[in-house]
Amino acid sequence: MYEKSVTITATHGIHTRPAALLVKEAKTYTCDVLVECNGKQASAKSLFKLQTLGLYNGVTVRVFAEGAEAEQAVERVSELLVTLS
Amino acid sequence: MSISGIVVSSGIAFGQSRILKQHNSELDYRVLALEQVPAEQAKLTTAIAQFVTSLAISLQSLSQDSENYQLIEADILLLEDDELIAQLQTSIADQQFTASVAVERIFTQHANQLRAMEDIYLADRAQDIACLGSRLISVINGNIKHDLQNLHGPTILFAYDLTPAEFATLPLDKINGIVLKTGGLTSHTAILARSAGIPALLSCDFDLIKGNETLKDDQAVALDALSGNLHINPDSDVLLQLTQLGKHDTLRKTQLLKYKDQPMVTKDSHRVALLANVGCLSEIGHLSDAGADGIGLFRTEFMLMNASEMPTEEVQYRLYCDALQLLDGKIFTIRTLDIGADKELPCLSLPAEDNPALGFRGARYSLAHPELLKIQLKAVLRAANHGQIRLMFPMINQVEELDKIFDIIEECKTELVDEERGYGDLSYGIVIETPAAVLNLPSMLPRLDFISIGTNDLTQYTMAADRTNPALTKAYPSLSPAILTLIKMTINTAKPARIPISLCGELASSPNMAAILVGMGLDELSVSPSSLLELKSSLCNHTLATYQKWSQQALSIQRLDELNDYVSHCY
Repeated sequence: MYEKSVTITATHGIHTRPAALLVKEAKTYTCDVLVECNGKQASAKSLFKLQTLGLYNGVTVRVFAEGAEAEQAVERVSELLVTLS
Repeated sequence: MSISGIVVSSGIAFGQSRILKQHNSELDYRVLALEQVPAEQAKLTTAIAQFVTSLAISLQSLSQDSENYQLIEADILLLEDDELIAQLQTSIADQQFTASVAVERIFTQHANQLRAMEDIYLADRAQDIACLGSRLISVINGNIKHDLQNLHGPTILFAYDLTPAEFATLPLDKINGIVLKTGGLTSHTAILARSAGIPALLSCDFDLIKGNETLKDDQAVALDALSGNLHINPDSDVLLQLTQLGKHDTLRKTQLLKYKDQPMVTKDSHRVALLANVGCLSEIGHLSDAGADGIGLFRTEFMLMNASEMPTEEVQYRLYCDALQLLDGKIFTIRTLDIGADKELPCLSLPAEDNPALGFRGARYSLAHPELLKIQLKAVLRAANHGQIRLMFPMINQVEELDKIFDIIEECKTELVDEERGYGDLSYGIVIETPAAVLNLPSMLPRLDFISIGTNDLTQYTMAADRTNPALTKAYPSLSPAILTLIKMTINTAKPARIPISLCGELASSPNMAAILVGMGLDELSVSPSSLLELKSSLCNHTLATYQKWSQQALSIQRLDELNDYVSHCY
């Protein structure tokens, strides 16, 4: 398993539009990518689940994945979590 | 045949009617027999596919970079979400719900979950989710929306309601006017229509046509969004008259645009600040088009309107910072929460009162709940680190109330220092809205950096007439000798202190009245953004000396009707 922790810096958090972009990217990987924050977990491929995590400014998020391309997927999702706004 | 409505975006428009079918979000509450489950599940799958296809079609006409494109794309992602679909199908299978009830349950649950979020921006999405759910139910019921891409020519669009996402997909080049059955002045659609410059009438009961006449597609329609009337099959007289009015209106709007970036000065270069009364962040984005020198009244209660709980300090702090950024150095005046039993706020559940207007409201409420006030004060103090903010308190009658507020402000500052979070300096003011505040102003002035006269409430409390009671419209004249005298007293008291004297209220939105107020010595006028350019264009025509002469004349009139007559003809 590959994992990484990042902090959300976007002023308004990861709201609908950035979350949608994130989901689209995550779907390009074969492995599932999980995002954990505030004690809740969601697949980065599910906008429905991601919305309930509360990805707002300042929270720390753990991103992890297992299997094919796990490392690339986690790196890409983490990067998006930090850069999207 | 004409029907009235509320003008939210002014202008005259002609076109063929096109009615957007109302959503049919009726729920089918039957409990399914087990053998019906697979068919119901298939029905859901088909509906989702249909809905996604229709959304994908509407994407084709939009630019990929536009906000609208991305919002619709997010809708599609949600509808195709495996987790969501699994929950819906399970709900049909296990609970034997019909597809519509399953969608209603799961989407409502999801919306509630988002609504409970600490973050105001994320919580706002709850509305979008609920809306997406009701649209999906509509598709399940076999009711997919018209394809608006095939409009023939100039169209007046009729709908029960229009969501921002739906507005985004409208072919605006063919839509000359919009008529909605629901909505009000501050609804999101109103703001969008205004910024797109499309005449719009809201709260218009357009299917309220008598006899066998009903509004159908492709009827000739004239929309008079100046006086607020909708004409169906207008006769040639009405057409001619409206065409004339429309030409004047267009000309006037073009002429007014040149005042957009000009400072508000009288003919002899006396500067008056023209400010806007606003209630939400999205309005601030359009202020430079309205020609505002800043915000004279930011009503912060709006944050609470749809919130299930009080927004946290962090959420408020970010909101004020965003506003500062949008305003880019222009005046920013925040009024602390002005809440009371007259405003329904789900997150506070205020007890009912016999006399809400005379009741537990404004600063009275804040002082009884310092824990709520402190959240807001700390957020404002921290935001003041990033720009100049003026903070004013509503419903202050007496200096002791002010003393208590300043004590709480000191507490907040100490806490912020202890928590190693910085704060900035604020300018402090009060809203003068009771005769007591006018009379007690001398004792309060030493503590104040500015004052703002709130004429709507000042009139209500001076006349002892509830402004929300329709039977009292005559007892509540917006302009009266008494109000003029109170404004004059306030100015006389405050002038020697050399602090800005502002007036926020609809009284200032008429150009003639604004001229009188400037003549009386007000430094700032704050009105709704749509009135600003009109005020600029008229106040620059004469000198301050002229306005002073008019105001002296007005102040000498003791009869209500004479005063109103004088003011409406002084130009």
